[in-house]
Amino acid sequence: MMTIEVTRPERTTTAGRWYLERAGLDALVAALREDGRTVIGPTVADGAVVLAEIHSSAEMPHAVGDVQGPGRYRLTKRDDARVFGYVVGPTSWKRWVFPPDVELSTGRRTGHRVEFAPTASHPTKLAFVGVRACELAAFGVQDRVLDAGPFRDADYAARRESAFVVAVQCTTAELTCFCTSMGTGPEVEHGFDIALTELDEGFLLDVGSPAGQELVDGKLASALRPATPVEVYTAAADVAATRARIGDPLPTAGLHDRLLAQLDNPRWAQVAERCITCGNCTLACPTCFCTSVIQKTDMEGIAATNERAWDSCFSPGFARVAGGSFRSRPRDRYRQWLTHKFGTWWDQFGTTGCVGCGRCITWCPVGIDVREELMAIAPPVALSPEPIRVEPVAASFNDFVVAQVVATRQETADTVTLTLAGADPAFSKGNLGQFAMVAIPGFPPLPISISRFTVDGIELTIRGAGPATKAMTALKVGDQLGLRGPLGNNWPIERAVGRDLVIVSGGIGLAPLRPVIHALAADRRRFGDVRLYYGARTPADILYREEMERWASRGGIEVHLTVDRAGPEWEGRVGVVTQLFDQATWEGANAIAFVCGPERMMQATANTLAGRGVTPTRIFVTLERHMECGIGLCGHCQMGKYFVCRDGPVFSLLQLGDTFGREGI
Amino acid sequence: MGDTAALVAALNATWFGSGLPPSAQTRLADMGRLETYPGGRELLTEGEVAEEVGIVLEGRIALRTLVPERGMVTILTIEPGDVWGWSAIVPPYRGTSTVVTIEPVTSIVFEGAALRIALREDSKLAQVLYPRILVAVSRRLAASRLQLLDLFARDATAGA
Repeated sequence: MMTIEVTRPERTTTAGRWYLERAGLDALVAALREDGRTVIGPTVADGAVVLAEIHSSAEMPHAVGDVQGPGRYRLTKRDDARVFGYVVGPTSWKRWVFPPDVELSTGRRTGHRVEFAPTASHPTKLAFVGVRACELAAFGVQDRVLDAGPFRDADYAARRESAFVVAVQCTTAELTCFCTSMGTGPEVEHGFDIALTELDEGFLLDVGSPAGQELVDGKLASALRPATPVEVYTAAADVAATRARIGDPLPTAGLHDRLLAQLDNPRWAQVAERCITCGNCTLACPTCFCTSVIQKTDMEGIAATNERAWDSCFSPGFARVAGGSFRSRPRDRYRQWLTHKFGTWWDQFGTTGCVGCGRCITWCPVGIDVREELMAIAPPVALSPEPIRVEPVAASFNDFVVAQVVATRQETADTVTLTLAGADPAFSKGNLGQFAMVAIPGFPPLPISISRFTVDGIELTIRGAGPATKAMTALKVGDQLGLRGPLGNNWPIERAVGRDLVIVSGGIGLAPLRPVIHALAADRRRFGDVRLYYGARTPADILYREEMERWASRGGIEVHLTVDRAGPEWEGRVGVVTQLFDQATWEGANAIAFVCGPERMMQATANTLAGRGVTPTRIFVTLERHMECGIGLCGHCQMGKYFVCRDGPVFSLLQLGDTFGREGI
Repeated sequence: MGDTAALVAALNATWFGSGLPPSAQTRLADMGRLETYPGGRELLTEGEVAEEVGIVLEGRIALRTLVPERGMVTILTIEPGDVWGWSAIVPPYRGTSTVVTIEPVTSIVFEGAALRIALREDSKLAQVLYPRILVAVSRRLAASRLQLLDLFARDATAGA
């Protein structure tokens, strides 16, 4: 969920793709101006490429490049005549769609009467020339913030609506660029009227909207010829080379949860020793939208003008109330900015607030690199094998991919672990806690948790309880079955970093938690105390017995077992699983808990955990519901506002609220 | 007196005994003794008169019940800190299950008769001790109800 979804259609034809000579750029600017538009584009001023109104392409940079790094920006001379041979500068298009100061209204106070009059907004028609992929993404973010309701900024909407967008594919990148990490570039995909890719002598031109088509068919027609395949290929290769130059993306999977779990990280104070809270990062940021309203009054104090001006969460007075400021320390303000931009922005607007343009890195006067801070404060968890969102395979109602049983292991009298191989590679890349819909012809498909991820497949632990599961547990090596998946969400293991982890499971409920334990054991030092409490029906029903001994002896995990009933030969504990820890001495305030088992057991466990001081936001349970499709289409597994298959099966107690354990939901 | 101090310290190491007022701890310590049992020792038989009450300090005790044709079934284990033999102070003073050590056990032990007399005569002691007995018994009751549900019997698919 952490990257902006970008689809990358293959473009291999030359149909509808045009070539524009470099000299023809002026015809483009002229055509936009003739259309009554104020044209904004890059120019060189004050030793930087800045955006400003342009009247002809002659005002645009020529043969200008740049060098950027943390707190560092220099223009360079290029050997060629390129107009877009640099990356983003200090200004962003925000200045024109969301101006830094806008008169909102006027007010008057005459005697006892007060009057307010909104100031009408008459934005001019705009055209933006040279919008990069990250900046198109920034428009998308701002649209969510300012124009997606329930309350809209009409001035912003009018400006956005009016703007003709000429996008530019990036054929160069600087050290500060990280669009690939945020999933926003460097490829321009949509959201433009015309897109240019600069070549040695001119531009490949793509049309992205009816308005763009009108321009290509009309005023710009005489400046264009169809592009040749070589031009199309060269353009694509240059953009691909830019992607390669930016290098490996940052591991952003789970960044929201990782960050929000680190509110007490000592690094906040350390970075605040460097941060001078100047707010440059927020002003240079193409998505930061915080403002303050300033009142200007006449000398008599009768008439006043309200002006909205960009503000910054780094301003000392930004969070001030009568009693003082809620974020008085620089560390509070830095934490606010970073956790909002990369964390709570998701909760508020369904997207990240960062587009990876790198401005906040370049224009930070002390050279704080947001990427470095993120990875230091909220490092990724080394999980098996790849903690990224995996697109499920066979993700339609009647589709399954075939996998083969390569090993079977009888866990208990009625429970078998099947090792599967030959399925789609997506399965081995699945996340901890995900499940697969498993099908054998003649039986209804069933959701089965993935109990282990192997290099080339998965393991499923299945208890033969009904006809379908009995058919599955009867499979032999060489038999095939159908799979759809991996499906569902995952245990939020990133949130457990630096915390104590309590894992409580009952019966077959240990299966979906087994990959969590494998991952923990592989990266044990990142977590505090890890305790596994497991309850089974009888000693003969205990799963993964030998493995559990290894977890305890070599994995640094406290393992506690209990059974509901036992014969006199059993020397272990007998009783319900909550009795394993209801009198324990550990403190739950720092702990996070993952719970899986029958719902009634999970309820009792949640109550006991709450009694030990674990907060509901950090108690996660996995729900079982009737599932037929596994992809949120059949409607069976609805629980309140959730589809358990699509939105779960892992939920925090906070998410479930009073629906958890309630009869008949 | 040395024994009393040791027993007070032992009481303080258990959830049952810690937090009792010092006077009650001393009173209990005066009545109690420390016992060590080997594994396999039957401390109380189901249906028989319960003569002793204990608090486990170390080791594990099983509560077992006889089921015809299934033999002895362990229905609960008692871990350090918890009470065994509470039947000795609750009428009709007969064991509700068979109490067997399943490993070497150290326990504080009280004579049921002496404790019953003390609880009858010393209302302050009764006032602080009965709630704890009630907690111990109600925890077992709640747990037994969950066990009665036999939750894992129908639990088929894993998680999802």
